[in-house]
Amino acid sequence: MMRLDHGIERGRRIQIILDGERVDVFEGETLAAAMIEQSSAFRRDSNGMARGMFCNMGTCGECTVTLLPGGQRVRACLVPAQVGMDVTRD
Amino acid sequence: MTDHYDVAIVGGGPAGQAAALTLDDLKLKTVVIDEQPQAGGQILRQPPQSFRIPGWMEDRTYAPLVELLRRFEARTSIHWIGSHSVIGLRREPDGLFALTICSPDGLRSITAARVLIAAGCQDLAVPLPGWTLPGVYSAGGMQALLKAQRIVPGEQIVLAGTHPLQLLIAAQLVEAGGGVAAVLFSQPHGTMLKAGIRNSLRAFDRLSTAFPAVRALATLRKHGVKVLYNAPIQAICGTDRVAAVQHSGGEIACDAVGLCYGFVSQSSLPRMMSAKMRRAGPAGGWATLCDEWMQSSIQGLYVAGETTGVAGANAALASGNIAGFGIGAELGAISRDEAARRVARHRANRRSLLRFARLLDEIADPRPFFPALRDDTLVCRCEDVAFAQIGPVLDGRSANAVKLVTRCGMGLCQGRNCEPTLLRLLDNPNDPGFTARFPARPVPISDLAT
Amino acid sequence: MGGGLIGCATAWRLAREGAKVTVLDSGDFGMGASGQNAGSLHFQLERRFLENGDALAEQATRTAALNRLAISDWSSLEADLATNLHITMNGGLMVAETAEECALLELKIARENAEGLRTRMIDGHEARQIAPYLSEAICAAGYSPDEGHADARLVTHAIAIAADKTGALLRPRCRVQSIRRVCREYVVRTAAEQFAASQILIACGAWTAHVAAMLNLHVPLFPVGLLMNATERVAQVVPHLVQHVGRRLSMKQTHSGNLLIGGGWPSRMALDAEGRFTLYRPPAVIEASLRGNLRVAIDVAPMVATINLVRSWTGITAISADQLPIVGEIPAMPGCWVAGGGSAFTLGPTFARLIAQSMSGTKCEELEIVAPSRFAHLNSFMGQ
Repeated sequence: MMRLDHGIERGRRIQIILDGERVDVFEGETLAAAMIEQSSAFRRDSNGMARGMFCNMGTCGECTVTLLPGGQRVRACLVPAQVGMDVTRD
Repeated sequence: MTDHYDVAIVGGGPAGQAAALTLDDLKLKTVVIDEQPQAGGQILRQPPQSFRIPGWMEDRTYAPLVELLRRFEARTSIHWIGSHSVIGLRREPDGLFALTICSPDGLRSITAARVLIAAGCQDLAVPLPGWTLPGVYSAGGMQALLKAQRIVPGEQIVLAGTHPLQLLIAAQLVEAGGGVAAVLFSQPHGTMLKAGIRNSLRAFDRLSTAFPAVRALATLRKHGVKVLYNAPIQAICGTDRVAAVQHSGGEIACDAVGLCYGFVSQSSLPRMMSAKMRRAGPAGGWATLCDEWMQSSIQGLYVAGETTGVAGANAALASGNIAGFGIGAELGAISRDEAARRVARHRANRRSLLRFARLLDEIADPRPFFPALRDDTLVCRCEDVAFAQIGPVLDGRSANAVKLVTRCGMGLCQGRNCEPTLLRLLDNPNDPGFTARFPARPVPISDLAT
Repeated sequence: MGGGLIGCATAWRLAREGAKVTVLDSGDFGMGASGQNAGSLHFQLERRFLENGDALAEQATRTAALNRLAISDWSSLEADLATNLHITMNGGLMVAETAEECALLELKIARENAEGLRTRMIDGHEARQIAPYLSEAICAAGYSPDEGHADARLVTHAIAIAADKTGALLRPRCRVQSIRRVCREYVVRTAAEQFAASQILIACGAWTAHVAAMLNLHVPLFPVGLLMNATERVAQVVPHLVQHVGRRLSMKQTHSGNLLIGGGWPSRMALDAEGRFTLYRPPAVIEASLRGNLRVAIDVAPMVATINLVRSWTGITAISADQLPIVGEIPAMPGCWVAGGGSAFTLGPTFARLIAQSMSGTKCEELEIVAPSRFAHLNSFMGQ
């Protein structure tokens, strides 16, 4: 995983909580992008196999995560990271 | 609260933008709805507004599209609703269309006298052993990460499939500083060339469209990226993430894979309306049938861009213009004769672009190269339905019947990924595919409850 | 005729006894209401029987004997078929939120107990002990220890396989074109074949009346479009069947983790070019039904609020003129049997077993309450 750093100015650095841990991300990048920076594995399927994002355009649902404390289930590839977000992949 | 418009356009890509500008010129109250926060479609998927990327999409390939996007964004009289999914579309007893749209902030309804669906396409999902490992993406998804997020999801990336777009994506990745291990074409070089030569006459006027692929090849050569032909990918290996791909000629170590076998239309909404569809080919999927004004079989429901069959962004732009004038004429904002005069050049342009699209279809035809499925290969990613579960019920029954007994197509994506594969396995040209159901995208129960 | 749950199960029972049986369906097996319903195994008196006056409630109560048989049939079905149908019978709660609904529950339970069903009234506290996901607003529930659900996707499919193995001839995608009664036989024609039978069963769900028309018979079954909803898969949290005594709700969680939410909310039947109901296009979702159904679900189990809906689907079932099923031999047409008309998933295996037994010559008193003879007057001028 790599965020390219030349030829780009990203937004400000913010922190979100991802699976209970604070991680630095850039404001406005998608949750999926921020998560990929941590690991390409997003969840385990019913066979216990590791799974990641696939389509990155809101169609496949593979990147669905839960926003806390409300518990909303959202597609991470469509949702921009914002200050204070608490995201769990379970 | 319900907002009413003359025209609601689903999709803010080139087709939706072009139609909206036309309709706005005709003084019709128009709204454009898109799942992305900003307009552009997948072809010009924009970075977050908090990013500054000098030279973004400056390549001349994209110039007409960027120009269109800038005009669209400057037009404040067009109502833009970004970050919203259209989850439902129906016709009310009074003849108006009602669209149910949702975002993480909740649900809204809008009504419109006419609807244009320009919802674009998605990558054809092609199952093969290991394709569910983390690090395997649709090639379009990988490209969107680069375009809009400036993220390269690996250091040794393999692109594999049959569609020449993978050359462009690979070139964009290496130019941005990413590492591409190889580009694997399933088909032999000769097959691609032959298709190109055989069709050179009909594609002659569009050869410039093929230039980006030629330039991409030069870029890849410069960066020492291997481009292999006649090297169909057979499996992706790894335990918890991608480690290598196996192709017919050996194994290549990698940490990410982009699968690139072509594209299929997003067809949920026209199918939900029971519009007449046709099997699109050769990649599969469903194209919505339409008349010369881009009106579907459902009166008042128009379609443009990839919804009518995947043909690329420039053809989408042309069809958006045609649809805009078609709707304008139907609503009395312009005479039919004047509309016909105004669309003449768009129709001619679209015809020649469709010829080129057919050439590209032929070059990229994935059908002879679909990888062999193993018993444990998941066909339905959402419900973890393996080929072994599907094989025994491929006995002449319908796609809906296979869905019922196997759960294939019952998950979050509503079958968008697995339907083309299942229809291919069923091999019945008359199978209408899965019944399209509400909601087109998952939506929280609380948003829908009264 | 009709490759649904009843048709396949009757064929399986008959073939096991050595009868020569053929099952015909115009489409794939199990694709009508047998596969489209949400799989409830409900043994408490249905809400729909309670909202239309005492007479109907009284009459419906007399089907309790069938419910008792169904409990035992479902309990042994997986063993009989040697397959897993995700049958769970962990109990069911029919909840109440108001004093009025509690009173209705009490009456209902008294009726059921009188007929030998072991339902009992529990208060809200006990209901939440059994089912912690229930809202604080639930003040009482009728509890049936036997209720539950089965995977409607699998049941008919599995029974069809069993019927096939037992020697029944299965003909999916073979539309019946005509039925003639010749002497004491029936001749059933499809496009490619012709079958002669001493007895026939019409178990075609909402199509039953159409098929019976081929014999110049009325069967007063009317198509009804219903709505069901499936959520995404979530961790197992609802092991019961949950219903509501005063509002339309049935809710359960599948083996895979989806919550299925329904309960008799209408959908809008499609019309053909002549403006008549058509069974050949799925009914349309009625937004008010959808919203109302999901509202009840949240009111009863607040935790469903944040879960995503992934699919609302509509299906067509059949309801009889008096709401009770119509199952048995048609008096005007000996050898012609009919089965359909509501509750036919829960009662399906039982109907099939009893029809098979009756067809083999052993009369079943349990079917008398649902016999077609109560509509014999409709066929006074029909048949032949």
